[in-house]
Amino acid sequence: MTIRNLDFFGFLFVFLAVILGIGTYYYLRNRRRQLYPYGNWDELLKRLAPLDHQNLERIAADPTALAAQDNHWVETMSPEDIWRLLGGMRGIEVMEKNCSVLVDLVFYVQQWYPEALLIAEQLRLNAREVEWHIGRLKATAKSGRPPAAAAEYLQQAVAIYFQMTREVLALYQQGNLPGLADLQRAL
Amino acid sequence: MHLSRTVFAFWAAGLTGHIVLLVVLLTRHRARTFPVFTTLIAANILNSIALYEIALRGSAHTYFIAYFAFASLDLVLQLAVTYELARHVFCPTGTWAPDIRKGFLLLVLTSLAIAFVLACLPSPPEKTILRTLLDRGNLFSSALQCELFVGMIAFSSTANLPWNTHVARIAQGLGFYSLVGLITEAGHNILAGTSIAYQNVTYLRMSTYLLCAGYWIVMLWLPAPAPQELPEEAQRQLFTLQRRVEYDLRKLRALKR
Repeated sequence: MTIRNLDFFGFLFVFLAVILGIGTYYYLRNRRRQLYPYGNWDELLKRLAPLDHQNLERIAADPTALAAQDNHWVETMSPEDIWRLLGGMRGIEVMEKNCSVLVDLVFYVQQWYPEALLIAEQLRLNAREVEWHIGRLKATAKSGRPPAAAAEYLQQAVAIYFQMTREVLALYQQGNLPGLADLQRAL
Repeated sequence: MHLSRTVFAFWAAGLTGHIVLLVVLLTRHRARTFPVFTTLIAANILNSIALYEIALRGSAHTYFIAYFAFASLDLVLQLAVTYELARHVFCPTGTWAPDIRKGFLLLVLTSLAIAFVLACLPSPPEKTILRTLLDRGNLFSSALQCELFVGMIAFSSTANLPWNTHVARIAQGLGFYSLVGLITEAGHNILAGTSIAYQNVTYLRMSTYLLCAGYWIVMLWLPAPAPQELPEEAQRQLFTLQRRVEYDLRKLRALKR
């Protein structure tokens, strides 16, 4: 066999390995997507970025549902307090990203419980509303207005987000689905 | 020119397979969806009959020239079938997505360059120019088809575009044939044309093609799974969602201004 033919077989071997490698990778990727259209459980949980949920609860809390001293604290919460408790702009961005994961988590449940569609659609609408509030907030920050002007949007966005986390947890609890403990830790 | 029993058996099986496949395409109304693929099968029937006649009555040189001409037509038609399948996957509504079109063009150019390099590399033993050209051409065609199919799978997966059942079956058959063809054509390019090994490699390629033709006959005869109808409730919800999204988008646009 000539050296040129040896080169040819070397090239052919690499070519076949690459073609089969790429083909197998995308085949498995498509298969996994068919099995888990919204990602598998671990991947979904990994996408949830951490937020201090006690702080979120404090921002979102309905004053009438709280004890007297907490109630007083919420009423006197300044825009700066809200901003600090949420973790500034980073906290807002995390909240925005987590919204889409919450919607995916419900679609994940829907693979076994088709009736979860209603909650999924409701959550999707909520997620859009959070996006809208965050959009207003960013616009306010860009225009250089004081943070007090944006406090209303921020508090509403946090309230909706917090409500979404409770709805997802409730859905997992009602369905007695595996992974509830992981989710409770993540949310 | 004398035809051995084995070659005759392959010829008869190939012709029968193509005729059955053409009948399936026409009677199951697949020809309307896949006109180029139907043309390829019809051209293969014509090819089988014409080559048989030339093999019996003409000289070896005439046969070879006719074979070369039909092989060139086959290459052009196979590429056209690939384009037909790509159109089904990437522009189901008749319009190519701009990002896909650019990527697809890049894929074609890269594939052409790699297949050309691969086809130029082997150094065949003493053969006529026409035979060398034919072997290199077949290798080029197989490599190109393999690259295009893998590229299409990757693109469709990235762009999240589904493959219609029949499109996927035709592509699977052609892809498998091209992959085996790549190996057999590599053998053809380094073996002497008169050796037994060369002939065996040819039989392997022919058997693979017959297998693919059988697969197409069955798969194209079977109806594609009926698409699931969207329940009325879901339709209503989607409509409401779309209205709500439109409303939200209007608000967001107003905010931007």
